[in-house]
Amino acid sequence: MPVQGTETRPEIARLPTQQISSQDRYEPPDNFLEIEVANPITHGLSGNRYTDYEIRMKTNLPVFRLKECSVRRRYSDFDWLRKELERDSKILVPPLPGKAWERQIPAFLRNNDGIFDDDFIEDRRKGLEEFINKIAGHPLAQNERALHVFLQEEKIDPETYSPGKVRNG
Amino acid sequence: MSMQKAVDNNRSSNAGLSMDNQEKLLADALQNVRQHAFAMKRVLDQQSVMEGLKHAANMLGELRTSLLSPKNYYELHVVVVEELHHLELYLTDEFEHGRGSHDLYEVVQYAGNIVPRLYLLITIGHVYIRANELPRREVLRDLVEMCRGVQHPLRGLFLRNYLLQCVKSLLPDTEEENQEASKTGTILDSLDFILLNFSEMNKLWVRMQYQGHTRDLQRREQERRELRILVGTNLVRLSELECVNVERYKTIVLPKIMEQVVSCRDSIAQEYLMECIIQVFPDEYHLNTLNEFLKACRELSASVNIRNILISLIDRLTAYSTRDGSQQNIPENIQLFDIFSEQIAEVVKSRINMPPEDIVALQSALLNLSLKCYRDQFEYGNKVLENTRKIFDNIALDTQVQTGTPAAKELVKMLKIPIDCYDILDVLKLNHYKLVLQLLSYRERHTVCMYIINSILDKETIIPTAEQVTQLFELLLTLIIDQTDSALETSRQTITNEDFVEEQNLVARLYNNFQAPNDPDQQYHIIKICQDTFKNGGLERMRFTYPPIIMQAYALTFRYKNIREQDEKWEKKCQKLFQLCNQLINTLTKLETNDLPLRLYLQGALAASEIGSENAETIAYEFFSQAYTLYEEQAGDTRAQSASLTLLIGTLEKVTCFAEENHSTLRQSLTQAATRLVKRPDQVRTLLLCTHLFWSAQRLNESTQKSEQVHDNEKVLACLKKATKLTTQIMDQSVQVQLYNELLNTYIYFFNQNLPDIDITLLNSLIEKLQNEMSKISSNENDEFIRNQIQKTFDYLRQQSQLEKFQGLQINN
Repeated sequence: MPVQGTETRPEIARLPTQQISSQDRYEPPDNFLEIEVANPITHGLSGNRYTDYEIRMKTNLPVFRLKECSVRRRYSDFDWLRKELERDSKILVPPLPGKAWERQIPAFLRNNDGIFDDDFIEDRRKGLEEFINKIAGHPLAQNERALHVFLQEEKIDPETYSPGKVRNG
Repeated sequence: MSMQKAVDNNRSSNAGLSMDNQEKLLADALQNVRQHAFAMKRVLDQQSVMEGLKHAANMLGELRTSLLSPKNYYELHVVVVEELHHLELYLTDEFEHGRGSHDLYEVVQYAGNIVPRLYLLITIGHVYIRANELPRREVLRDLVEMCRGVQHPLRGLFLRNYLLQCVKSLLPDTEEENQEASKTGTILDSLDFILLNFSEMNKLWVRMQYQGHTRDLQRREQERRELRILVGTNLVRLSELECVNVERYKTIVLPKIMEQVVSCRDSIAQEYLMECIIQVFPDEYHLNTLNEFLKACRELSASVNIRNILISLIDRLTAYSTRDGSQQNIPENIQLFDIFSEQIAEVVKSRINMPPEDIVALQSALLNLSLKCYRDQFEYGNKVLENTRKIFDNIALDTQVQTGTPAAKELVKMLKIPIDCYDILDVLKLNHYKLVLQLLSYRERHTVCMYIINSILDKETIIPTAEQVTQLFELLLTLIIDQTDSALETSRQTITNEDFVEEQNLVARLYNNFQAPNDPDQQYHIIKICQDTFKNGGLERMRFTYPPIIMQAYALTFRYKNIREQDEKWEKKCQKLFQLCNQLINTLTKLETNDLPLRLYLQGALAASEIGSENAETIAYEFFSQAYTLYEEQAGDTRAQSASLTLLIGTLEKVTCFAEENHSTLRQSLTQAATRLVKRPDQVRTLLLCTHLFWSAQRLNESTQKSEQVHDNEKVLACLKKATKLTTQIMDQSVQVQLYNELLNTYIYFFNQNLPDIDITLLNSLIEKLQNEMSKISSNENDEFIRNQIQKTFDYLRQQSQLEKFQGLQINN
């Protein structure tokens, strides 16, 4: 737009800029969110084994109550979360890494350690990390109580949990 | 704050991060740029401006990338700007020839993407201002505001940097507007422009800190540091404006800059920008804004290394104040020392975790300031030293600073400053200096003491009073006596340890600088003080430190002799000096130092003899006999004995104060000693030396009180005969021949002295003997030397044979 024309054409004049306070100018942005899925540990003995993972979260998003937290979750917890979100939220929930049925056939029929195989656990870990990061970054998912319970409560207690929305952290 | 997609942060920084990937991305981008640039140039050659702009926009599209690292983005940017320059030149050229298009400023704003749009706008705007197409003030305002459109840190920084470079020569630098053209703007508009650009760039730069995963933080911080010059250029530009004076700097420029620096609370930005301000603006400005600047320093975030900033400022102002050798440059009303002293105290108070070495470094800079700017006012330097000591006393009273720590290193640096600035006499006026020295452990104290001594010796400073010597010794105590904290060190105090030897030699050399030029009594005091100090140092140190005292004492006796007209007590004073030396040399005899005490005694005897004071003879005799005793104790070491005896004989020959009784005792003793030497050749040679004792040596004639030569013919001959007899008993033929030659030479000497009973016939017989014996020696190298000696004797004789005295000499080839 021509520089001189603004007196005759006020509609193309530049809007007055608001002074930003120095605090807002330099404050770290409110969009910091990092979730790591790490430290897989297989618990229990032969017939009753399961693997769980550490979910470490750091954030400064106002909607989350805790800015740093760490919980342990297993695959079935992730599955639970997925189901809750599919039912209640409006987002298209990304898929989880597979259930790996072929690894759960009887041991003598396979030549690996099944679902407790190190490589498998690592692949699954990566998949879970990708999954949770995608979800937690979505504003619509951030409103679901299920997500907050999953990330920030020590245990997912079916008795105290009821689905709902979260407005502020 | 609107929520940006959090996930994008991670994704965009993860992709393209690997080295190979980066290289490929950059190479591709550069290739595209070159292609578009080529097309642009081609259509511009055909005068197609619109087509040119299109290609330019495509080229600039490469700068929209998020995938390149800052370093690579910079490389891309450089190439793009270079190519854009062609466009600029083309358009400028068009305007110069009156062919310029007038609507380009509006046209380029239709470009689809903001990055190309703004780069083009800046380029066109720049050309239009130059060509007077558009008012300068409005365009500049426009451009700096519109750049807000790019909020991505990396792209935004480079865009604004391009803006700054483009308008470099266009910024108005006048007090008033140019009356001919309208709306050219004034210096105030330039200030607004640059300060706005600066604050936006700082914002973007700080924002980079939060971009990306926490695990990449270190790399990001390094990248930020690499880009710092982009932000700093704004400050440089401010400093280049001529209409900025002290007043404007103080009221507009500095406050605005400080506002950004302090409020951003980012330590990388704060550290860099504070340093930048110090370096970029003239010292005169800093002098006038010290309080503001230092107040801002206190408000910096806790992790900023404030030490370097403050030291940078102090050092700069110190250099400024002493430039051209004068101390005039600081105006009277600015008390630099007080201001900094106070501010440093405040800073230290407010930062409780400041490590001690940083505090010391600050005090060092302050000390440097005091010594250079307030040269003759020692109380400033003293104050700093006192405060430093207090700091450590507050941490832990009476505890030494551990050796090798950074704090210890800084303290050593600090203590070297006065030594470099002043000569030692002024340093001694800083009576708190030793307080700080005491803080250090053995090794560091040792370093400082060595430094002090080396400095005194290099500068050749003379220390003229006993009091100053005392003060100096207080400082140097570490080297002079055993230290309680050097348990490991006492084992190394031997002459086999090179460092110990070097160190003590330095202390000894120091002694030569203690001179009271016109005051022998003062010199005497100095000697006494040295003795009192050194006697506590242990025998190994005395080996080095006593000899200079002794030699100085002897020299002092000569000075007293010179002023004997003015000082009636001179002889008593000399007596005291000799007594002192006697004591000192006696102590040295406990060491295994071969002939050092012996030589010192003989030197003393000679000195006493030369002085000729009333009891010179007693003193000389005492010293001489002490030397003789030492000689006797060397029995068993034939070479040492022979050398010592030679010394004794030589000295006696020179000493003139002995009366006949003493002199004859000594002559006898030495001659007998000569015959008692174990090896024959030694006996012969020493006997030959003794001949002089009976001839040219002088003794005091009691009646005339004058010295006269002994001239005892008989004894001389007796010695010669004895020597000859002994020579015949030598088995080694080469040695024997050599000795015959030496005998002959001595006979010739006495012949020339007209000793009775030495006549030509005697000489002739000796010559014949020698000639006969010569044939017995072999022709190897050693004997070649002997042969040459003999030839020399014969040559001499041949020369002399012309003289009447030598009539009848029988010498042939």
